[in-house]
Amino acid sequence: MVTKTEESELKNLEIQVDNGGGGAWEYLSLVRKLKVRRSDKVLKHGLSILNDSKLRSKLGADEWTLYEQVAVAAMDCQCLDVAQDCTKALRKRFSESKRVGRLEAMLLEAKGSWEEAEKAYSSLLEDNPLDQIIHKRRVAMAKAQGNISGAIEWLNKYLEIFMADHDAWRELAEIYTSLQMYKQAAFCYEEVILAQPTVPLYHLAYADVLYTIGGLENVQTAKKYYASTIDLTGGKNTRALFGICLCTSAIAQLTKGKNKEDKEGSQLQSLAAKALERDYKQRAPDKLPQLTTALKSLTLSS
Amino acid sequence: MGLGFTIGFIGVLILFHAAYSTIQYRTLLKITEEEFSGSPLIVVIELTLGLLLCTWAALNVPGKFLCILPDSDENRIVSLPGNLDFMIFNHRGKIFPVEMNERLRH
Repeated sequence: MVTKTEESELKNLEIQVDNGGGGAWEYLSLVRKLKVRRSDKVLKHGLSILNDSKLRSKLGADEWTLYEQVAVAAMDCQCLDVAQDCTKALRKRFSESKRVGRLEAMLLEAKGSWEEAEKAYSSLLEDNPLDQIIHKRRVAMAKAQGNISGAIEWLNKYLEIFMADHDAWRELAEIYTSLQMYKQAAFCYEEVILAQPTVPLYHLAYADVLYTIGGLENVQTAKKYYASTIDLTGGKNTRALFGICLCTSAIAQLTKGKNKEDKEGSQLQSLAAKALERDYKQRAPDKLPQLTTALKSLTLSS
Repeated sequence: MGLGFTIGFIGVLILFHAAYSTIQYRTLLKITEEEFSGSPLIVVIELTLGLLLCTWAALNVPGKFLCILPDSDENRIVSLPGNLDFMIFNHRGKIFPVEMNERLRH
């Protein structure tokens, strides 16, 4: 999870390194720790460290991690010759390494030679049938070739063995959402929330999916999850506030025939509306009239 | 940091001195066979002073306190880590090649 302090630290380091100040190694370590995808900057600064023999010797044993990081970044930026050189240097140093074998297979993937990459991955899997990362690379390869159903199949098989991998559940949820298979996506998001209950973004995504599926029960559960997102973010998440307003009006529409007086529902909606108006007044005051008309139409239609 | 340590040390010494004075006072009272109702006032003042000094040192020596609320301005989650295990290289960025004229030189 990238927190605000870490993000601002990353940005400062990025500006510092871009403008020629030192600190490239700290920047690269922070990118590695936070698992963000900044391939062009990693490539530029990593290559400048690797080409400077003094800086390279200062790194000691960490230089091979840097080789790996720069190789992956080069593949992402389509600089395949740089990636090839880094992989060759790694292979020369670690001749019997599965990790380097994985990197070489990734290089084949980046080049677009899917069958050779598939062969490489299967041979690596023969030696090591429980290697999580190779399974995940196979899923990614299926996804890259456009074979989404194949990717889903591989991912389901992977998750039958490694049920605790929340990254894989998240990936599966996103794939299902892109295919509009919302019920399955909701299931995957439930697994993700079970694994990491304090990340508000998962609650938000789950609530969105439930609201999209529709139906009275789902919209009521979606309202609860929007409320938990607001709880976890201290009321600062605009999307969750909007979600509460929309859910309340949807519930009111769905229960129009029945005679249930839901006092606390309307209270929640008015509170959310007030919070939204306050937020807009502070951050985008020229959009405030649009917001008030939209909120009024929501309450009127309910 | 050095100042905090010194003040903490002085505070601890004052507390020990207050304890010693109280023990001495009690022994004196035992000799004169009077009841021990409480330490003399000066020892109580010494005790409070030692407490204040130790508290100040304990708050200042460890350094900056971090916030524990998950929705505070520093701790709130801004973005999720990109799912790098599932990263694909077949994305639209292929059309915009990075101007990378450098190569690995050795």
